[in-house]
Amino acid sequence: MGKYEWLLFLHMTGAFLFLGAAVASLIFTFASQRYERPSEIALILRLASYVIPAFAIGGLLLLVFGIWLVSVGGYDYTDGWVIAALVLFILSNVAGAVGGKRAEPARELAERLAPENDEPTLELTARLRDPVALTLDYGAALLGFVVLVLMIWKPGAGG
Amino acid sequence: MIALLRPDSWDLPLFAHVLGAVVLFGGVGAVFLLTVAGIRMPGQSIFTGKLAFRTLMFVVWPSYIVMRVGAQWIYSKEDLQPDMPTWIKLGILVGDGGAVVLLGLTVLGWLALARRPSFARYFGGLAGLYLVGLLLAWWAMSAKPGV
Repeated sequence: MGKYEWLLFLHMTGAFLFLGAAVASLIFTFASQRYERPSEIALILRLASYVIPAFAIGGLLLLVFGIWLVSVGGYDYTDGWVIAALVLFILSNVAGAVGGKRAEPARELAERLAPENDEPTLELTARLRDPVALTLDYGAALLGFVVLVLMIWKPGAGG
Repeated sequence: MIALLRPDSWDLPLFAHVLGAVVLFGGVGAVFLLTVAGIRMPGQSIFTGKLAFRTLMFVVWPSYIVMRVGAQWIYSKEDLQPDMPTWIKLGILVGDGGAVVLLGLTVLGWLALARRPSFARYFGGLAGLYLVGLLLAWWAMSAKPGV
């Protein structure tokens, strides 16, 4: 196995961790909309927070080995698809981080309500359906998958 | 210039294959986390078991089909017969073996929900093993041992 293959493996590992975490996070976000009991919602949102390390480690591997691969693979750092991928990747991370922060009060409220009477409240429902947080969450995942499209098609790279 | 050697006509099947694989990985990861949570919090095990089983049926199975169809599609374009390289053999082993694993997960998940809650441990264990299998597959697909 050559240097290029090893770098590609580490880059792919980052991609699987990052996008896999995005998928798991979407599953938990979607599920949190479908249930009403605070104890169930608290559990789902706690599980969603467990995938954050996969985002961090995956994102780091993706970025470091992706940048390295550009030169080893014979591409140019000024190629449009490389710049677009980097910008979208950064936007995806920012949207995910801000969306995650906005979802935090919903988890805290669910955890507070669970031991009390475990009954759904309008406030909890409203926080779970915060349109800004949902747009940021789903948007972050979508941007991640757009980066995957760029990685495969590499528009403007030739070949 | 290694990366430029791939013909454009391979892009769509490769995308289907990779998209299916990452969704499959994330879906199995979610199933694993839900099952572990259910084992650690027995009071929530029915809830997490149902959610894990739904994730298996509505995320994991469909993404497996997309991944496997994409794999077969791109394989048909690569003209690798008769000397199949090791990385393809490993990919086929994990890919086709995945159908057996998912059937096993479906049966165990159903049994854990309907008849034997203790089967949740086997369900979670098998999901964890499959995550390792998927890691082996993407190592084979990207590092291409034997080439």
